[in-house]
Amino acid sequence: MHHIKILRRLLHQQIKSQRQYPLPFILEILSSAIILGFYFFAFALILQRFGQIGGWTIGEVAFIWGISEFSFGTMDMLFSGFDYDAFGPLIRKGQFDQLLLRPINITLQVFGSRLVLRRLGKMLEGLIIFIYGISMLNIDWTVGKLLYIPILIISQVLFFGSLFIIGATTTFWTMERLEILNIFTYGGSEIMSYPMHIFPRPIRLIFTYLVPAIFMSYFPAVYILDKPDPLNAPGIVSFLAPFVASIMLWLALRFWHFGIRNYQSSGS
Amino acid sequence: MTPIIHVNNLRKTYKVYKNHKGYLGLLKNLFNRQFDLIHAVNGISFDIQPGELVGYIGPNGAGKSTTIKMLTGLLVPTAGDLRVDGVIPWKERKNYVKNIGAVFGQRTTLWWDLPISDSFALLKDIYEIPDQTHKANLNLFREILELDPFMEVPVRALSLGQRMRADLCAAFLHNPKLVFLDEPTIGLDVVAKQRIREFIQFINAEKHTTIVLTTHDIIDIAKLCERVMIIDLGKILYDGPLETLLTTFGGRRILSVEFAEFYPEPSLEEAEILQRDGSTVVYSFERKKVSASKLIHQLSEQYRISDLEVRDQPIEDTIREIYEKQLLYNHPYDKKNPSS
Repeated sequence: MHHIKILRRLLHQQIKSQRQYPLPFILEILSSAIILGFYFFAFALILQRFGQIGGWTIGEVAFIWGISEFSFGTMDMLFSGFDYDAFGPLIRKGQFDQLLLRPINITLQVFGSRLVLRRLGKMLEGLIIFIYGISMLNIDWTVGKLLYIPILIISQVLFFGSLFIIGATTTFWTMERLEILNIFTYGGSEIMSYPMHIFPRPIRLIFTYLVPAIFMSYFPAVYILDKPDPLNAPGIVSFLAPFVASIMLWLALRFWHFGIRNYQSSGS
Repeated sequence: MTPIIHVNNLRKTYKVYKNHKGYLGLLKNLFNRQFDLIHAVNGISFDIQPGELVGYIGPNGAGKSTTIKMLTGLLVPTAGDLRVDGVIPWKERKNYVKNIGAVFGQRTTLWWDLPISDSFALLKDIYEIPDQTHKANLNLFREILELDPFMEVPVRALSLGQRMRADLCAAFLHNPKLVFLDEPTIGLDVVAKQRIREFIQFINAEKHTTIVLTTHDIIDIAKLCERVMIIDLGKILYDGPLETLLTTFGGRRILSVEFAEFYPEPSLEEAEILQRDGSTVVYSFERKKVSASKLIHQLSEQYRISDLEVRDQPIEDTIREIYEKQLLYNHPYDKKNPSS
């Protein structure tokens, strides 16, 4: 309980310091939503010429695109402290030591160390594209599908968050950001915005077995949108998102704690 | 009395990897990594009693920060015993750090964008400080450290001296039993240094807080600490009163002479020339070997003197000499750590 209270206070302070100038803040969020929205707009313009991609219509792509953008934006805001652009300097400047000197769970402190509200722009963009997608489609809604969407969003947030935690952990050794990890975080989110069967097999394999992004977006969408699956995967794969995300998070936290132990025994 | 800090044969060895050069080297690094072992702390032992104010000094790279990092639980020792207040710091981090405080002069523990009053309020929650204690301490520290003029200013806008005062306040708010102060006066002017020293002295006397002070400013030590430990090359070379150290090694005095005219070589047999500037010459001599009056007599026999001054060598210079000439090596004080 005590820990939750502290986390709330830390985040509250973060929000307070960013909201000092409300008008520029709102403008920044709107402009970032618009700029990010152009990517989809450009894609939609091209797709219009062909009508569909891999058997998926603009509305269907908008549906997964929107969810993925919204989830990534949410994660990017909540997990700001683990963003290695912020976490690297925390290690290099010795501020991580300061966190270790406080009697609060260290993971929680990193969570509370940064909350970038600007990411609301990406969330807004994702939400608009998602709503646009739904409005274009005639989804055969069931209770199961309605319940699965929030579960899916939470799963995606945890999935991306796990990748961020893994990225942050590597800085215990490298001190610098590892650009290659962007392939999995930003690349993963990019890949999840498209129906995954359109990609060549090697790429699909990477995002199935190494970074299981396919369970987060493509397979669940096949179920919700009632699409045929050219990959012929068993039906259950559509429902694995929360399990895959939980396992990812568990592994990421194990690695994170291993990293901290190593940091404490090797010094810096 | 049971010591609050017990350290026995503590060691910390770093592996420093050697990198092969070039692209081929990168590949070699993957398979065949060679490393040097650096013994940053090489078997040190000491006890510190509750309420002591101990100075921990040594030249750069002597092993000071490594020791402090182990004592604060940030670093896991390679070998040896380390118990602080009955616990092993790195093993019980959260429980342990509740009862300690730390100020690192080079960086702040406060929240960069928050006014310091908000930082203090956050610390109250983090350390679960009772209302009464928090209020009493804050009122007291605000007064002594004169924090009031900048209580509502964010840390990033504070001067170094103000920030250090705020950091000191933060470190003592939760009534810690033990506080580590690492360079708390670095980069400050004389007045600010004095204020901080007075605060440290006050807290130690009033609350019996055990304080371990690392500093490069020997005046801090001279004014605050009865006991000083000197570490170099990972070993403790001296552990005792500063007085003893100074009377043993600090016997040197300074004789500064202004001659009435320029003499090319006004040398003395029993004193060495430290510096010369025109007709002014500064000599250094050992009190035990020769008296000032004898030297002055010798000089006045050969040269015309217009002015002169005799003084003790400053403590800083004595300590620097101890480091530079490694005077503590092979000295009886070294017996605590039989050299390897």
